[in-house]
Amino acid sequence: MFMGLFILIAIFGIARWYQQWAAWDYGLDSTDPLFDKYWMTVFWGELIVEVILFFVFVTYFWLTRDKKLNELTPRKEMNRMIHWVSMLAVYAFGFYFAGSFYAEQDATWHQTVVRDTSFTPSHIFLFYMAMPVFIIIGFSLFTYAITRLPVFAKRISLPLVLTVCGPFMLLPTVGYNEWGHAFWLMEEYFTVPLHWGFVFFGWSILALAGLLHQIVKRMIVIMPKVVDEKGELTS
Amino acid sequence: MSLTAPEKKLLNAITTKGSSAAKIVRQLDLIVVLILFFAIIAAFHIHIMLTVGDWDFWVDWKDRKNWVTLTPMLLIFIPAALSYPFMQKFGLPIAGTLCALCLVIGEWVSRILGFHLWTYFPYSMIWPSIAIPGLMLMDLVLLLSRNAIATSIFGGSAVALAFAPANWPILAPYHLPVVHIDQVVNVADLIGYTFTRTATPEYLRIIERGTLRTFGGESTIISTFFSAFVCMVLFFIWWKIGEWVTNLGTVPNRFKKMVGYTDEDDDNAKEAV
Amino acid sequence: MFKLSKMIEKLVLSMMLVVMTGVAFAHGERNQEPFLRMKTLHWYDAKWSVENGSTIQVNDEVTLTGKVHFFSSWPEVINGPSTIFLANATPGPVFIRKASYLNEVPMIQSTGAELGHTYEYRVILKARIPGKHHVHPMINVESAGGLVGPGIWITIDGEADDFVYSVTTRTGQVIDNLGSYAVQNVVNWHLFWAAVAVFWLLWWMRRPLLVVRFLKVKEGSWNELITKNDKFLGAFMIVFIIGVLIYANSITKEKYPRTIPLQAGKVDLMSLAVHNDGLGTVKAKQRNNDASVGVISKKAEYFLPGRTVTVEAEITNNSRLPIQLGEFTAANIRFINHDVDFAMKGVDEGYPDELVADKSLGVSDNTPIQPGESRLIKINATDVAWETERLSSLMNDPESSYGALLFFFDSEGNRMISELSGQILPTFVD
Repeated sequence: MFMGLFILIAIFGIARWYQQWAAWDYGLDSTDPLFDKYWMTVFWGELIVEVILFFVFVTYFWLTRDKKLNELTPRKEMNRMIHWVSMLAVYAFGFYFAGSFYAEQDATWHQTVVRDTSFTPSHIFLFYMAMPVFIIIGFSLFTYAITRLPVFAKRISLPLVLTVCGPFMLLPTVGYNEWGHAFWLMEEYFTVPLHWGFVFFGWSILALAGLLHQIVKRMIVIMPKVVDEKGELTS
Repeated sequence: MSLTAPEKKLLNAITTKGSSAAKIVRQLDLIVVLILFFAIIAAFHIHIMLTVGDWDFWVDWKDRKNWVTLTPMLLIFIPAALSYPFMQKFGLPIAGTLCALCLVIGEWVSRILGFHLWTYFPYSMIWPSIAIPGLMLMDLVLLLSRNAIATSIFGGSAVALAFAPANWPILAPYHLPVVHIDQVVNVADLIGYTFTRTATPEYLRIIERGTLRTFGGESTIISTFFSAFVCMVLFFIWWKIGEWVTNLGTVPNRFKKMVGYTDEDDDNAKEAV
Repeated sequence: MFKLSKMIEKLVLSMMLVVMTGVAFAHGERNQEPFLRMKTLHWYDAKWSVENGSTIQVNDEVTLTGKVHFFSSWPEVINGPSTIFLANATPGPVFIRKASYLNEVPMIQSTGAELGHTYEYRVILKARIPGKHHVHPMINVESAGGLVGPGIWITIDGEADDFVYSVTTRTGQVIDNLGSYAVQNVVNWHLFWAAVAVFWLLWWMRRPLLVVRFLKVKEGSWNELITKNDKFLGAFMIVFIIGVLIYANSITKEKYPRTIPLQAGKVDLMSLAVHNDGLGTVKAKQRNNDASVGVISKKAEYFLPGRTVTVEAEITNNSRLPIQLGEFTAANIRFINHDVDFAMKGVDEGYPDELVADKSLGVSDNTPIQPGESRLIKINATDVAWETERLSSLMNDPESSYGALLFFFDSEGNRMISELSGQILPTFVD
């Protein structure tokens, strides 16, 4: 978990530093060749890496799945569960960067400069990096859950689906956002209805509560068996 | 509802000091606190910034009508929805306080690193509204009443009723009058005029522009009471949404045979979840 | 917190200064469709109180002056200028806006303009953040967005921390620095409420949270979940919070007895529209007869490989002296007729080079047009700027039209300006 958190801090820290370094100098005019050099290269680069990572992770978790989940011991299941829950923290941290940090920063950038492209220095990191990062983590966690954790493998948990797919929908919503900024609203205020697609899909993270509820319920089933091994389950 | 025999034993084991069971659940607690902290900042912040963001970002948008009316209404959605699982499943009356604290932390990080250090806006222009007192009162009403309807009426309304009083001591110095290039403005107006927002000009501000019916300038009070009314309704609606999302349940997994299960395992799973 | 952020700020700013480079680029306006840019605002006589490329110190002032003309054939697809705001296109608040005027009317608030009219602008800026910045005048038009005028480069030297902007309120209070005014009060209140929230959360978090509480909820042991102490503290907190709110508001009222709400009025500008420099429009024939110089576009072509626009136009001199065409300007690019001295004098030394065509404006017949005479002339405007300012993307637009201003000079040096607009045809081969 701490490794994951650290990696995310490193990625997003470097991205933020890059913005400070290159946004004002090379990011104001999308017709400038330097914009291509310093910004569009980053855009295409991150897009390629993200698509590759997505398939690598999801395929890896699927191919290395536990094919005998029915024989899993409670202790192993509990360890996996705690490990998985700790990775949910990394997912939440990734979602924080997309939903809070880079999202609000997007407001200040677009309210300060004249937007002349869909791929602004703010969008290149918000939509095309921060969002894919938590989507990759989310889908990986989902695949891990249905291949290694009995409670999520026997039946598909709807809160889990919402927790992963709801925030994922923020990325397709970008299509609506860009359409609106191209044809509809020429100025920048952040509360425009155009942005409410993000709000709606952001709500889906509420399903995390349902997911925690399911996790705790499962813990109550497996914990007595684990604790019993240690002889703590008396009276 | 009563506990099953293993559950009772588990509860005993956990409540024994120093037991491995106690350690495991505490470890789980702390990880979940971390998850909730980040997830709530993200979800609540994106919701607020895209619904009442501009009023929250800029000192010269914090007016007596729209800011005061809309902010509490939109503040209540997520805390109300989370109150259901927090209280009904875990007996914790802290959803509102947690949300309000997470929100203000997320906002300050963005105001410092984004608004101030990236785009040079001064702090006097970009401080966020404070939502803690109202949302905390909501929690406290829920604590004492343990009742969704009572909390809708007294807790929901408290979010709105406390909003303007909590923010006015912060905002008041910015509403002193100033005469600048022969125009009367208040300090907040002047800050907005002085520090250029290139793509967000003055006319975009959605602020109180006067009617013939805000007698005696009591706009804040009228806005607060309207907001309180809507908050009452919204608390209940979002409490129900929270209930729905918490109890969503499961659907069959068509791929379960690929991880070693058979069709019979389904029923067991139903019990577990 | 603020000391730390100040340190980060210094670090970041010094980093920015090191990497600042002198590359010429715009503020995003180049990517706006040319037919919209050429038919909305025309900026002319633009002047800056400092030279292009000069260096000034933090706290120094810069004044932007000039005229802006709202084109008569405003594109139907974008909103008219009934609500506008005079601004400055700078990289955010690297300069602060000290004062701004249209026709000498203060422009703190928004206003409205009329099509076909020309307004004099004056914007006074004060340097705040060190770095090399592009400084343009700009007018935001409601629902159309920012329309940017010509810009120059100004380097700000010094320390951002030295920036001061002091204001005295109407109640006599002196605000030393507007950017940090009352910030400590904001921070204090936020820290206070955050501390209250943290206390409440820790009160619950010190006990086991999830599994134990879940089991107890299932068991129905609410007395253990929410103890008497919890309820007592809860009741106390309600009283405490409400008490703090009442007390805080009463001392606020005492401290700030006189406050005013945000000022939202719109400034009236209509009655003060300045003399229109003899502007004639192409819209109505009869208005052409009224204008000093009538202009009707007969044919306009854009030759892509040669980056040339040619226009055939009928010019009618309604003034009392012979006139010559001195300048053709569209979307901030100026084409000057080098044979007309009065026109050449109109180009200041400091005017941005990239916005003035190197070659002379080609005019088929340069002999003065006599009073009362109508003449068909062919104008040829060639420059790489058509490409660099991306006006050549006309070919990608859903409307092939153009707009420009023509500057005529009579034998006494009086300037008369006319609008020119119409369809423009692409040519791909010479």
